[in-house]
Amino acid sequence: MRAFVKALLRGSFSIAILLALRLTVFASVDDAQSFALQAAEPYIKEGFQVREDYWGGDLGSGEKKAVRQQLFKGNEYWFWMGTEVERARISVHVYDSEGKLAEQPDGWEKGHFAAAHIIPKSTGSYFIIVNIEESPEERTHWALVYGFR
Amino acid sequence: MIPFARYLKLSALLASGLILCAHGAETPQHIDVKQLSKKVEDVVVPLPNEVFGALNKLGSINWKEYVRSDKGSNFTERPRIALLLGTVIADGFIAVQAEDAPAVKEIGQRVQTLARGIGVERSITQHAKAITEAADKRKWENVRQELDRTQNSVQQAMNEVHDEKLSQLVSLGGWLRGTEVLTAVVTKHFSTEGAELLHQPDLLVYFQTRLQAMPEFDLAIIRDIRGALVEVKPLIDVGRAHISSESVKKINDITTRLDNGIVTRE
Repeated sequence: MRAFVKALLRGSFSIAILLALRLTVFASVDDAQSFALQAAEPYIKEGFQVREDYWGGDLGSGEKKAVRQQLFKGNEYWFWMGTEVERARISVHVYDSEGKLAEQPDGWEKGHFAAAHIIPKSTGSYFIIVNIEESPEERTHWALVYGFR
Repeated sequence: MIPFARYLKLSALLASGLILCAHGAETPQHIDVKQLSKKVEDVVVPLPNEVFGALNKLGSINWKEYVRSDKGSNFTERPRIALLLGTVIADGFIAVQAEDAPAVKEIGQRVQTLARGIGVERSITQHAKAITEAADKRKWENVRQELDRTQNSVQQAMNEVHDEKLSQLVSLGGWLRGTEVLTAVVTKHFSTEGAELLHQPDLLVYFQTRLQAMPEFDLAIIRDIRGALVEVKPLIDVGRAHISSESVKKINDITTRLDNGIVTRE
């Protein structure tokens, strides 16, 4: 009887490990996008239209990536970043085409969520810098969505 | 003595101030763009309503003048259908600006027909239905969202079957129609702020690069667009200078000509 319980426990443990591995394998940019959209949700009520299109990928801890976006003077934009790695710390910032920080001071970083706010002073290209500040994972999926009003 | 509630408020303010300071201190005020350029991702092409929204803030516009809901020509060449699809989705955003429910519904059906023509109809059936329902209820925000979803779903479906080039043509068609209407509005009531909305040199380069990588699409309209983008580039890539009313008019002539080429059979 004890042997049976031991075997059952061992089996359950193996299944749990397999499930965890499976979750890790299947965790993807789509999951990161869900978190980015979660960060955007409160802003929809404030009249922001959140785009369906988004950027995403994976980065190592401490790694940055720049995405370029055309912004229009007269609009107001928020960029929301998310990752499914809960213990990761991420950030997002917006720079103008000359590399000058162009965001409003009310951007925020809360663990695996981050956001940057910009009211462009001119129409043109801007750089959005996404950064995996810290992560327990070797590669961390990230996604960036944006909204405007 | 500070009352406890006030003490709490002050502490909270101080704490948030410290957090903001820490946040600010870590964020570089300047970055070297040249160093970044190799790591830069592709641009996300703005939707027409993004520029229309900015345009609206400059003064009232009679959007009804720009609504177009005629069925237009039918094509069999997939690149032509993709370009037209982008144009028709842009027309949907214009009809939303004009709050023209019958036009929105017709455009929804047209989008579905075109999507069928390139084999991605299944991806948008539910969005087309949602567009009609939202237009009936005059829920314009929902129509806008569904148009965005439609474009996104069509492009995702194309990307899944490795038709990325067609997906890029959808974006290009939308951008050209959006630019045609933007320049028409600004030509009519010129302002430097309105003309500044044309300052999109990176987007133009993006489309030029994409078109260069499509030698297999040897169609007159694609050749026309390639040539036209070369003409448009110096008119909008003006650095810190203003875009003149003459340039706006010229871009309007070019984009109107291209749009006619996209919607009508040669």
